[in-house]
Amino acid sequence: MGTWTEQVEKQSKARIATAAILLALCVGAFDYATGTHISFSAFYLLPVSLAAWFLGANFALFIAALCVSVWIAGNTISGDEDFATPFLIAWNGTIQFTTYVVVVLVMAKLRSLNQGLESRVRDRAAELTREIAERERLQQLVLEASEQEQRRIGQDLHDGLGQHLAGTAIAGQVLREKLERRCLPEAADAKKVVELIEEGVSLTRQSVKGLYPVDMNAEGLMLSLEEFTVTTSRLFDVNCRFICESPVLMHSAATAEHLYRIAQEATRNAVQHGNAHDILVELGVLEEGYELRIEDDGIGVPLAPPSTPGMGMRIMAHRARMIGANLEVRARLSGGTAVICRLPVAIEDQLAS
Amino acid sequence: MSKSIARVFLVDDHPLVREWLTTLINQLTDLTVCGEAASEEKALEGIRDTTPDVAIVDLAMPEGSGLSLIKNIKAHVPGTAVVVLSMHDERFYAERAFRAGARGYVMKGESTSSIATAIREVLSGKLYLSPRMQTVFAERFADGGIASLNTPIKKLSDRELEVFRLLGQGYETRRVAQSLNVSIKTVQAYCARIKEKFQLANASELLREAIRFNDAQSSG
Repeated sequence: MGTWTEQVEKQSKARIATAAILLALCVGAFDYATGTHISFSAFYLLPVSLAAWFLGANFALFIAALCVSVWIAGNTISGDEDFATPFLIAWNGTIQFTTYVVVVLVMAKLRSLNQGLESRVRDRAAELTREIAERERLQQLVLEASEQEQRRIGQDLHDGLGQHLAGTAIAGQVLREKLERRCLPEAADAKKVVELIEEGVSLTRQSVKGLYPVDMNAEGLMLSLEEFTVTTSRLFDVNCRFICESPVLMHSAATAEHLYRIAQEATRNAVQHGNAHDILVELGVLEEGYELRIEDDGIGVPLAPPSTPGMGMRIMAHRARMIGANLEVRARLSGGTAVICRLPVAIEDQLAS
Repeated sequence: MSKSIARVFLVDDHPLVREWLTTLINQLTDLTVCGEAASEEKALEGIRDTTPDVAIVDLAMPEGSGLSLIKNIKAHVPGTAVVVLSMHDERFYAERAFRAGARGYVMKGESTSSIATAIREVLSGKLYLSPRMQTVFAERFADGGIASLNTPIKKLSDRELEVFRLLGQGYETRRVAQSLNVSIKTVQAYCARIKEKFQLANASELLREAIRFNDAQSSG
């Protein structure tokens, strides 16, 4: 409904009631002043409708009765012929009152329908908000579950398989030394075996890095990003550099890990979808917070964001939301994409404490 | 005879590693294993009781931490030298282990044959690092190294030195700016000049040097 009804709705009942009564009297006064030949009966509908809409049927009926009385009084005083006998007064008065009653009933029904509709809209909106919140929570749970699983696999590889292989390498070394002491040519084979197991340990260590990245002390993010860029350059044959002008210490391990994963995802996008050759990962401090920026010289983002952004993009945005950061993905003027994640300083401090 | 045999204590939560490390060490004529433990607490107890010449310590343990164990050994059993044998990447942990008081760092599964060498080097009073880390450390000290020489620190202006000192105390860029009452941009400019003067590649190295400088100052 329009805004004027909302304005009226805000007023107290007493005020609206007074207004309705005054309006009825005013119309009556005009009716009387304009004489018997000009009919004013429709104008009485104004206070009646006002009362019916805002104050309920009972009070509206009272106003209707008031209007009819004022109308009759006015017309009788001015000597209208239609009100010459009590019968005429009763007849005309009843007809007029009945009309108002019909209007009141229609208005009351309309009002209740309108209210029902409004409350349904409110309920739906609340339901929708709940559903969105639930979906967000689920999204986060899924993300957390997958991260927890990754971390678990990473830890198993690191502490389980890795250590087992390391122990096996030592066992191999024992065998090799025994063979060497007896001057047996098989010592060379044993040496080879030890080297192969060592390669296994090294491969395990590399797998662990992708799964369970940030070593979570305060300077961990800087070190991890640096190592990540070196590994990316080597693995994908690109020039991936890390720039950090002055030390950035993250006091919340969770924030550091989210930022690391955002950098990882943005870089992966640049290499796999953007055909980038130069990728710059920059971590910096601004007056208002921290900034992680990943820029590449690839084919760039499409100008209009697709209606269904890729999973990676959505997860990046979700991570940013989780740590209270703002994520921006845009095309660079010189070509390529820039992913910028800004974390307000207050949030990191809050998370840290 | 027994005088020349060095005693080694093993700290590792993985039984397979302990078992074969014991075999490896015991088959060497100049070394013998005098005890082993799987947790920080048990390890410190055992090392106090046996006062070995060398302790081989893993950094990751389900109970306790290798780094704090190293500090405790250094404080309570100063005669025992520590060699770290860990799955953790030496590029990130070697320096921290050395700062805590370790004398050697061997990465598990990188060069199994050098475990004995590491123990012997450390026993003879030297430090042990993998060739790769030797290069990294040497490079750090070569041109702009600060802790090795005291002169380059004089290259810094008073304000730069102040920034450097605060960084070493664990202050982050923002807090340095706050405590010096200057903008973050100004601190970044100081950081850039310090990096240039010491020829440091990035902020992590800057931080490392600053911490090293701070350690050197507070310990001596």
